[in-house]
Amino acid sequence: MIETVISTLLSGIVLGALYALMASGLSMIWTTLGVFNFTHGALMMIGAFMAWTVSEAIGLGIYAGLVAGIGATALLGVIIEYMVIRPFHGRANMILITVMTTLAVMIILEKSAQMIWGPRLKQLPRLIEGDVSIFGAVISAHEALIVVLAPVILIALWVFATRTMVGRSLRAVGQNQDAAALLGINVPLTFAIAFGLGAALAGLTGVLLGGIRFVTPNLGVEPIIKAMTVVIFGGLGSLGATVGAAFVIGFAEAFLILVVGLYWTPFALFIGLILVLIFRPNGLFGRA
Amino acid sequence: MRPYILPMLAAVLLALVPLVVEDSYTRHLFIVAFVYAIIASNWDLSLGYAGLFNFGHLGFFATGVYTAAIAAKTLAITPWLAMPLGGVTAALAALLIAAPVARLRGIYVVLVTFAFAQLMLQLILSQSHITGGAGGMVGIPGLEIGEYRFIRDRKLGYYHVSLGLLVLSTIHLLFLTKSSFGRSLLALRDNEDYARARGVSIARQRVMALVLSAVFPGVAGGFFAIYLRVAAPEVLGFGTLSLALSMVLIGGSASIFGPILAAIALTFATEAMAGIRGMEEARFVVVAIGMVLVLRFAPGGMIRIMDGGGKR
Repeated sequence: MIETVISTLLSGIVLGALYALMASGLSMIWTTLGVFNFTHGALMMIGAFMAWTVSEAIGLGIYAGLVAGIGATALLGVIIEYMVIRPFHGRANMILITVMTTLAVMIILEKSAQMIWGPRLKQLPRLIEGDVSIFGAVISAHEALIVVLAPVILIALWVFATRTMVGRSLRAVGQNQDAAALLGINVPLTFAIAFGLGAALAGLTGVLLGGIRFVTPNLGVEPIIKAMTVVIFGGLGSLGATVGAAFVIGFAEAFLILVVGLYWTPFALFIGLILVLIFRPNGLFGRA
Repeated sequence: MRPYILPMLAAVLLALVPLVVEDSYTRHLFIVAFVYAIIASNWDLSLGYAGLFNFGHLGFFATGVYTAAIAAKTLAITPWLAMPLGGVTAALAALLIAAPVARLRGIYVVLVTFAFAQLMLQLILSQSHITGGAGGMVGIPGLEIGEYRFIRDRKLGYYHVSLGLLVLSTIHLLFLTKSSFGRSLLALRDNEDYARARGVSIARQRVMALVLSAVFPGVAGGFFAIYLRVAAPEVLGFGTLSLALSMVLIGGSASIFGPILAAIALTFATEAMAGIRGMEEARFVVVAIGMVLVLRFAPGGMIRIMDGGGKR
């Protein structure tokens, strides 16, 4: 009994950390640009494939792959922002238009990946080999690394957003673009930075994910749905709300798998989500 | 009546097409195009007219597909009844999803409706003892009257059933958009505060827009399952989603006829591309690029370019 509880809690922590990583980039782009980036999952997939190419196909090792994956997605993010976000900036229905354009880019990335890398399953090496045992429950060292890494990255993101000039200008643009521009902030550059950074976070998450799951052109589909669930649940307001919601969902999922089984868990989560939205339309931690 | 002469003429011409087009593959493409046209034009009612950021419309279509498949195959209900049953369950699904959507705004509507379609997919995949899972359901009974099977005479019967559904669906949509209900949707979309001040209930109109736009995609889904005799989870994939969405956008949102024309054009275009070696996947890329280009350079869609000018 106690072992079941510990292993459930542990898998809840692992899931929560993963979901926090998946959703933080999404949430950041939303708060600065007001764009819901549907390419986020596809960028994770591209990050994993780039890492695979550098690490396995070329043979430079997983750490070179990690750098390549993050670098490639950051660059891709800046390109995406330039091509399909910037032209629509300032239009009245920008939210809806960018949902559609990023959805289109998601299709382009997925189908391109299928044509470039083929449908065969690929696997990324883990960043650390071996297992870790905590109170008798065992997780892989790679998963443990994710649990440790997630808060470090999120705190770094928070410090960046609140303590650095660039980070503050991101938030200023998110709050009031005109005032930010008047203060001399380069708004277009800020947009590019925000999108590049969000994409880089997606790339990093993708490389980490590639050590747990098979890398396929569909790798990003489930994460983007999960990240969406997290941001609906938490409300798209702040990084804190997103992280909180990620862990709530992670624990809820681990617990639900135990109670209602793997198959009914998504359904139960969705019902919970609908209930939260009916009573709190701005999310669990959102403000009106 | 005058603006409808052209569409009526088009419907008559389409009814005469089988006299000229004899091969069953081209007729099959027409049937698929009509089904897509129903999805796209009804989606346009909620997305274009009501301005509701609804991305779950294929969920309603899939509800129809699986309702008809389960009703006709597992429960042995006659396919003639199984098809409209798809419309009923799709409307019920829309009612369910409308409950939260009626209160939400902007991006949250996108997220909830999108999540709904994905949940449908997961449900279909996980309940494989009912739905056949990833492999889908096969051997669904087809349409027949007495001894006459509709697949005979090179799909002639199915052609006319699908065209009939498209005509009915289009009349339904025209009736709705020209009614005071349709005008109240436009009012809510274009000036919400003013519409509310005039006594239009935003929650009620949204629920109605969603439910009324789900009925025909549900029936079309039922037809699709009966016609293909297969129900597969691919109907909820991103490929289908982007194709249907691009029909609404490329055709021109809030125009009904635009998405119908785009559905027919794009079905034939993507099918032609699928025939070229190496284009099986690339055709979705082409469609997606087309979608971005239309949003960028012709936000009103093709129908407004043909009308001359971007006015609504």
